[in-house]
Amino acid sequence: MDLLPSDEELSIAQTVAELLHRELPRELLRERQNEQTSISAEAWSICAESGLLALGLAEGSGGVGFGLVEEALAFREIGRELAPGPFLSSVIGARLAAEAGDTELVRAIVSGDRQVGLILPRAGATFDGSVVTGEVELVDATGSDLLLLLRPDVSALFDRASFASALPWQSIDPGVRLEVATAVGVEPVLAVVDSAELWARAVVLSSAILTGISEACRDASTTHAKTREQFGRPIGVNQAIKHRCADMAMYSEAASAQLLYAAAAGDAESADFGYQASIARVVASRAAISNAEANIQVHGGMGYTYEHDAHLYVKRARVWANLIGSRTFHLSAVIDEIRVAA
Amino acid sequence: MVDLTFSREQNEFRDEVRTWLAENAPTRTRPHDYAEIREYDLSWQRTQYAGGWAGISWPVEFGGKGLSVIEQMIWYEEYGRAGLPGMDATFVGLNHAGPTLMSRASDEQKSKHLPPILRGEVIWCQGFSEPGSGSDLASLSTRAIIDGDDLVVNGQKIWTSFAHLADWQELLVRTDRTGGKHHGISWVICDIHSPGIEVRAIKTMDGEAEFAEVFYDDVRIPLANVVGELNQGWGVAMSTLAFERGTAFTASQVRLASLVEELVEIARTRTGPDGKRAAIADDEVARRLGMARAEVAALRAMTYVGISRSEKTGTPGSEGSIVKLYYTELHKQVAQLAMDLLGSDGLRFVSRWMNNGWTGEYLASFSLSIGGGTSEIQRNIIGERVLGLPR
Repeated sequence: MDLLPSDEELSIAQTVAELLHRELPRELLRERQNEQTSISAEAWSICAESGLLALGLAEGSGGVGFGLVEEALAFREIGRELAPGPFLSSVIGARLAAEAGDTELVRAIVSGDRQVGLILPRAGATFDGSVVTGEVELVDATGSDLLLLLRPDVSALFDRASFASALPWQSIDPGVRLEVATAVGVEPVLAVVDSAELWARAVVLSSAILTGISEACRDASTTHAKTREQFGRPIGVNQAIKHRCADMAMYSEAASAQLLYAAAAGDAESADFGYQASIARVVASRAAISNAEANIQVHGGMGYTYEHDAHLYVKRARVWANLIGSRTFHLSAVIDEIRVAA
Repeated sequence: MVDLTFSREQNEFRDEVRTWLAENAPTRTRPHDYAEIREYDLSWQRTQYAGGWAGISWPVEFGGKGLSVIEQMIWYEEYGRAGLPGMDATFVGLNHAGPTLMSRASDEQKSKHLPPILRGEVIWCQGFSEPGSGSDLASLSTRAIIDGDDLVVNGQKIWTSFAHLADWQELLVRTDRTGGKHHGISWVICDIHSPGIEVRAIKTMDGEAEFAEVFYDDVRIPLANVVGELNQGWGVAMSTLAFERGTAFTASQVRLASLVEELVEIARTRTGPDGKRAAIADDEVARRLGMARAEVAALRAMTYVGISRSEKTGTPGSEGSIVKLYYTELHKQVAQLAMDLLGSDGLRFVSRWMNNGWTGEYLASFSLSIGGGTSEIQRNIIGERVLGLPR
């Protein structure tokens, strides 16, 4: 038993962080906010060439062959760096293709040739495994050829062209593209049933993004509390600020510990993988939202400006707290174990 | 490398612990009378020692098993799972005083004091806090003056758990008032039965009298009982507190997890707020129980991270304060949830040592975020030592 990442595991995360920092600097979010895609085709290619989309895939499937732990550590950096682009849906999309045995499609996705956006079905939309019908949102699908619809029971990839009538909708987050579409009996190009493991992996990776956001906010607040002076002293000497930062550290520590636990449960193929993943999402959502909101307050008026990064974390936290199941959804997964047994 | 699986040896160890506990744990309920508690806790410690289970992570040279903190944690996990009574009276000896003596005491002090702790012959208590020195522990003013080969101690300590049952006390006294407040403190082994010591029990809000005040009136303690250097006791004391935040919390956490499951069971069987369906059918009740379950799981993950860190670096580090803060605040929330769930049944007082002792649990829970460093002090430690914020 060991829940402390090794130097080797941390160096993978470090490499990813450096790559994202170099290729997707924070200013890009504002610079590209009126572009069609949140990430340029060049940057996507560079990230794909580095192996970022294939970390957790088996070598036999054209992947790097790391476990979910390494993949989660990499996605924590995606969250921390606020990296734009459909990373999660592409990684899970490639895995779905691998499970369906479509090696050509796996290669096309992990090489960066084909991006996979995410389908977020709205209330009332249905997917019976063969066709999707109803109103859906498309997330970061403006540069995608494929769309992923993920559920624990059945998951599928769709052709982006089947949603040609999708209309762009301004999203809360300048780094995330949103579209609204109405599907009428759209068939997938590829579907797998009993996709609980695929789902749980996506839950863990989304928890990783949220954990990274929470840590970035903890660190931003701490740095500000050390350097910003008022009344002749750094504001961090005041317990009103210090204790807020301490609570941020506590939420992040809980999120990060449970993230590693859930990822390791996935790698160990534990029976409670899905349950642990949902718990990771519950604590990571709380950490990300709570820390991102507190971070604005710690930064005062500066934190309220568009120029400062603080709002970007709030927005990204809100996005990921609603993708791959909402916080309520995951809390229900924990509660249902209680209720079902009753 | 991150890995959840325990080794084959560790799994076998867990099986052995489970079997042994099932066959040897006390069957008699823990008594309520303090004199009986002393005998009960010591006799249970003697049983563990005879079975070869005392001091699992203590070095072999001090009578321990010399295993790692992971085996120690496994022991506590199984101990908690078996629903066994807390090792309250023996706690300070095994988890504070013992480890401090191991790291700072002279060979003579070690050989005299460590074996009786493991053998279940003595009870240790702490003598740190004073009426005027709570969170600001370093301001302590209980004085000790050197007179020949002795220290002569005058002053008062407070919040000393089980002082009235104890034989020995780990005592912090001020031996020099000329330097800064962290300088001039000495860590002393005090025979609690020395002439001039008076112990008075303090009754707390849950009706119990676990705590005591201790008064010192010209108490003579041999200079040979100073642990570490004279005037350097602050550093010795801080090493003790770090131990407290190590594996010792594991049993409490496992106990908290079973409290949550007991609450789930209550929510399934009791009528809920609508007066018709089971309480669990109520969304608010279910949401709070679900959140408690999630938090307890995250707490276990945090403990595993802390133990992994201890295993690698030899100390739980200041991050232990995060686990302490998280655990105590969570335990309080669970106790509050229990009271909300019980409704008017919670008005009937039942001690936490009895079955369904939720009211006692609730009243006792207020102490958690005060003792062992208040939640506010923990937040200071996290802010200053983990995050590096200015003091």
